[in-house]
Amino acid sequence: MFLALREMRHSKARYSLIMVIMLLVSFLVLFVTGLARGLAYANISAVENMPANYFTVQDDAEHTFRRSQLSEAELAAAMSVVGDGNAATLAVQTSTVTAEAAEVKADITFFAVDMDGMLAPKVVQGEALTNASQGSAIVDSKLEESGIAVGSTIVDQASGMSFKVAGTVEDSSYSHMPVVYITKSDWQLMKGGAAQEGSAQLSAPYNVIALKATSAEADQVAGKLDHVEVITQKQAISSIPGYAAEQKSLLMMIAFLFVIAAFVLAVFFYVITIQKTSQFGILKAMGTKMSYLAWSVVGQVLILSVASLAVSLLLTFGMNMGLPDTMPFQLERSTILLTCVLFIGMSLLGALISVVRVAKVDALEAIGRAGA
Amino acid sequence: MSAMLMMKQVTKNYGDGGRTMSVLNKLDLTVNAGEFIAVLGPSGSGKSTFLSAAGALLTPTSGEIWIDGESLTNKDKRELTELRLQKIGFMFQNAQLLPYLKVEEQLLYVARLAKLGTKESKERAAGLMKRLGIWERRSHYPEKLSGGEKQRVAIARAWMNKPAILFADEPTASLDFERGREVVRMIADEVRSEGKAAVMVTHDERMLDWCDRVLHLENGMLAEHQNTEAATVQV
Repeated sequence: MFLALREMRHSKARYSLIMVIMLLVSFLVLFVTGLARGLAYANISAVENMPANYFTVQDDAEHTFRRSQLSEAELAAAMSVVGDGNAATLAVQTSTVTAEAAEVKADITFFAVDMDGMLAPKVVQGEALTNASQGSAIVDSKLEESGIAVGSTIVDQASGMSFKVAGTVEDSSYSHMPVVYITKSDWQLMKGGAAQEGSAQLSAPYNVIALKATSAEADQVAGKLDHVEVITQKQAISSIPGYAAEQKSLLMMIAFLFVIAAFVLAVFFYVITIQKTSQFGILKAMGTKMSYLAWSVVGQVLILSVASLAVSLLLTFGMNMGLPDTMPFQLERSTILLTCVLFIGMSLLGALISVVRVAKVDALEAIGRAGA
Repeated sequence: MSAMLMMKQVTKNYGDGGRTMSVLNKLDLTVNAGEFIAVLGPSGSGKSTFLSAAGALLTPTSGEIWIDGESLTNKDKRELTELRLQKIGFMFQNAQLLPYLKVEEQLLYVARLAKLGTKESKERAAGLMKRLGIWERRSHYPEKLSGGEKQRVAIARAWMNKPAILFADEPTASLDFERGREVVRMIADEVRSEGKAAVMVTHDERMLDWCDRVLHLENGMLAEHQNTEAATVQV
């Protein structure tokens, strides 16, 4: 490090420039990552926050909740494997609601759940529902922006049913739409009304069964039921309409930024290393070990990437505070850590070709050279 | 008197499109402690090859080399690097100081490599810089030094780890006559005060006043010429 630090001290301008580039790239990496995570969360938070780790879907539904149809029979079978408290039906219906008081319409997703089961919404404001409640709903707090709050009445456009908002929950979105939780009996009513009068006694199907299970139990459930597939929460999330397309394009940007960071560093250090070829020859002739020189290069890369990461983390947090609420941004500690480790890893990868180059310099070049 | 450098029957061949060319041809040389030797030869006579082989940078085709009694034969790259660090001091053309180290750091760097104690190396560096008249310049970067001063720093750096022998590759090439002579005199002074040896390769015959022996590299062998001039200066 003796050489590495002194060289950076001597060529401040040169190293500052490269640090600024690294800083900008790492800032962009962190920022886009935060946006991607934020967007993902705004999209699927209702499913991500569910305590379930597996979902049972119909095998021809291609993992998509809305295409799947399951009944009480499947629920009973699932419950017999994982226990009553660890399986719950979920019915999903996208719709448009109008608020009676306010002249607004909002696109929402109905989630019909067992209010005593594990999928019951965690109310932060107002009152929770019981399975006996009728014509009441719990809504996502984002609907407040549309003027729908506790006490308002919303009307489902498709069925004409009206619900009184009993309480609100936070972070409950599905496919970027706020979720409205209703009871299973209201769900039957809604579906019964939509179906022919004659078949009303047949209970309307649910979409999926959420499971809290071990992988062995999940396999058991899948084996027990015909035409049913058990998918993980991750698979379920990536099948939510729009989620994969959104995340893939952002992920590609992030991946490119990592590659760019590695290349910028690689090129910078390679050019510097080539410039210093004769110096390395002299150093080797004087008895400097190759490992010392390699550490010198790696040390500089580490200092540059860690310093630029630290500054860009500060910038990211500062930027986050100034962002409007409508711009979703989320960075968990684990994501930050992973991003930082990846960034430093890619930088070191970029330094590798310089190290190889240094290793190839022969001490012999020091003798008989007139050039400085 | 112990031999600081001994070369026995050293040959170095280079393959050149099917023909081999002997740059060094059964060369013998012994340099004892306290001796300052000059090796003269026109360009292309193999001076660089000679210096590289003696300085443990190049393995000869055949023959054996000892530095301070240690044979270079059968040593791997790592061992040779360590030996260069401990036993050999180098002076290169144009001094070749590291541009980003201040004068004092140039000396402390090699001391660090050799794992000398901080206090000891600071004292030694101070002593060398004072003797060589660069003490005032100790916190300057090489770019602020004149050519003569740079070579003096190079002398100090070469002696820093108390090597058994110093090899100087055309140390006066980039200096004018007066400064060149001064640098050579300083190398000679250090050889005497350290009780070690030095070999200087040069093509400049005016720089030989302080050398104990002057050898000519001809046809891959070293031929001794009596250095009458040096003798008269010393007497």
